[in-house]
Amino acid sequence: MTKKSAFWLFFIGTVSSAVIFLGLTWDMHRQVAALSHADKLSDKVVAGKRAFEHYNCNDCHTILGFGGYYAPDLTRVEQRIGAEGIRYRLLHPELAFANAPRKMPQQHIPEGEIDNLVTFLTWVGGIENGDWPPQDSKNRLTRGEQRLVAGAAVSPGAAVFQTKGCMNCHSLNGAGGTFGPALDTIGRNLTMEQIEHYVRDPKSVNPKAMMPPQKELSDREREEVAKFLGNLK
Amino acid sequence: MEYRSQRIANWYFTIALLLFVLQVMMGLWLLSNYVFTIPQWLVDRFPFATARAMHTNLLVLWMLLGFMGGTYYIVPEETGRDIWSPRLAWLQLVVLVATGVIALAGFAAGWTKGRPLLEIPPPLNYLVVAGALIFLFNVGMTMFKARRWTVIQGVLLGGLVFLALLYLAGIPFYRNEVIDWYYWWWVIHLWVEGAWELVTGAIMAFILMRLTGVDRQVVEKWLYVEIGLFMFTGIAGTGHHYYWIGAPTYWLWVGGIFSALEPIPILLMVIDTMTYVRHRQVQIANPHTWTLALGCAVFHLIGAGVWGFAHTLPQINYYTHGSQVTVSHGHMAFFGAYALLNITVFYFAMPRLKGIEVYKPTLGKIGFWTMSSAMMLMGITFGIAGVLQSYLERVLGMGYMTAQSYMHLWMTVTLVLGVCFFAGVVITVIDLLFPKPAVKPGGA
Ligand code: HEM
Ligand code: HEM
Ligand SMILES: [Fe+2]
Repeated sequence: MTKKSAFWLFFIGTVSSAVIFLGLTWDMHRQVAALSHADKLSDKVVAGKRAFEHYNCNDCHTILGFGGYYAPDLTRVEQRIGAEGIRYRLLHPELAFANAPRKMPQQHIPEGEIDNLVTFLTWVGGIENGDWPPQDSKNRLTRGEQRLVAGAAVSPGAAVFQTKGCMNCHSLNGAGGTFGPALDTIGRNLTMEQIEHYVRDPKSVNPKAMMPPQKELSDREREEVAKFLGNLK
Repeated sequence: MEYRSQRIANWYFTIALLLFVLQVMMGLWLLSNYVFTIPQWLVDRFPFATARAMHTNLLVLWMLLGFMGGTYYIVPEETGRDIWSPRLAWLQLVVLVATGVIALAGFAAGWTKGRPLLEIPPPLNYLVVAGALIFLFNVGMTMFKARRWTVIQGVLLGGLVFLALLYLAGIPFYRNEVIDWYYWWWVIHLWVEGAWELVTGAIMAFILMRLTGVDRQVVEKWLYVEIGLFMFTGIAGTGHHYYWIGAPTYWLWVGGIFSALEPIPILLMVIDTMTYVRHRQVQIANPHTWTLALGCAVFHLIGAGVWGFAHTLPQINYYTHGSQVTVSHGHMAFFGAYALLNITVFYFAMPRLKGIEVYKPTLGKIGFWTMSSAMMLMGITFGIAGVLQSYLERVLGMGYMTAQSYMHLWMTVTLVLGVCFFAGVVITVIDLLFPKPAVKPGGA
């Protein structure tokens, strides 16, 4: 090969790759509104994005898989722990993480901004991104869930337990969160009724409880999950 | 040293080395956050996020200062002419270092743009741009006045202009998170797998030509082939970051295929380096500089080529994306490709700038082998933690913190290795700041 042909290799290589890349960039702009539901991208979402950046959340948490890896991914956090779960952790990180090996800073975020953050995270959760992250995928049951389903409990209560965010804090058979206690034998300590009260308002059963009230659950869901847990002995 | 104005490079290098030490200290602190439970009051005052912004911005700053110093060292020798304006080179250094200091103090006080790796807030972005413009103008003027164009100069200048242009993509506020990440990667990916590779190719070609005396025509021909392949695979290869951000699905194909080819130019670089060393025309004066150049090429291939390839296909990236696997690759690649490149340039230039033609390599060797073996092992232990995370959290569906508890052992081992790495850094930096001439055989 001569130096001249090497130059042409460089030139054609660069231009062809750039043409493909810029062409697809143009097409991405045409499609992104639909994929990200830009019609729901309100000013409140944008305000939430600004707050997300102002408090530098992204240097501990990933979102869409980018950022710091020190804390859980936030892409589907709203589906995972719900608006209340987010609010509680932002308002009282020193309580929420009192027993956790890693803490989150208390940044004294005003309630209005917390609201914006929740709106932003909810919007992000709706982005159609190829069903990532796998651990929050609704289409794929995790192995832990598969094991549960195949084992003791195909009951509606088990389904509530797996899909409504309980497992972010609690575990069964070693699968789930460590934030709250493992619940494998919870039925030995609490009756079904107590569990139902507890889920509705933890402080009514135990004044020192740190778990936030699960306001997102319907009455029926709460009953089912209490029935399921009450039988774990 | 042949030109007086090359001396400015020494200041760029010295400051870069001090920032390198600070960067690694921050790295140790970050890892301590993984290994120990930091009390709430300290987390409130100095959270992980702030330290991470410092660790990564110090990294970028010292490496860019190193590239710029390297350019100021190389350009006079390539053009046969002093730097157009040494004063501007000074002004540029002051502007950039001042910006860096303000940015770091700002992070500590909570002033941030809040975009990972690009945390420097907008007003300071413009100072960075000003510094870059001064630099490009000064280098460009030197080349234009000299009118002794070489391919090495052209690639160097082209790479630096490309680098500066890409930085602009990271400045605006984007309303849509998807578009924000789309252009974030124009800075991050197109830097390390595009513009920085051009700069690296040019600098390596220059150093190898000087060290080995191999004919310029041969070196420049292969330089074209290398950067041609880098650009061809790297530009469209940006798509390997667009799999899961809410961009169209054709990126799975385009990103997967082009980025899977990215190791080829890196491999070519290793082959070229080895070939030049084998066909050298001159005596080896400083064998350690050769070791560094070869070490850089090989570690570049391992960290970027092998470790990058390992998680670049969408089928694998679905499980490893944004895990400690990413961290493992980020460290190996940045260290192998760009930290070692800078250190090679420093060892090539700094002793000579102090009038030492043949330097004593003892400390340099200890430093290099300590850093390289520690970083190789860190890459492996971060990697084990990452594979555990991908399996436990993403495949089994374990909760995030539960999975992290199984990784704790490996993060602890990494911290120990990190301390060894730090020792290697300190030895290297001391040796570079106070180089000793080699004792001539027979005594002097
Ligand atoms: C003792 C040495 C070091 C230690 C212990 C260390 C540790 C760390 C830690 C814990 C993180 C944060 C990862 C996270 O978000 O969870 C990090 C990030 C990072 N470090 Fe280091 N580091 C060290 C040296 C270096 C060196 C020498 C380089 C480059 C040459 C480097 C480049 C980076 C980069 C690029 C990131 C961002 C990674 C990403 O976004 O994937 N670090 N480091
Ligand atoms: C010297 C060149 C390179 C450097 C310095 C480098 C550095 C990095 C860094 C710091 C990240 C993490 C960014 C973040 O999310 O914070 C990253 C991600 C990535 N790199 Fe590289 N890289 C290099 C070359 C390559 C090559 C050649 C390949 C492929 C063959 C590659 C494949 C990847 C992939 C797939 C990711 C995304 C990881 C994820 O999904 O989390 N890299 N790189
Ligand atoms: Fe990349």
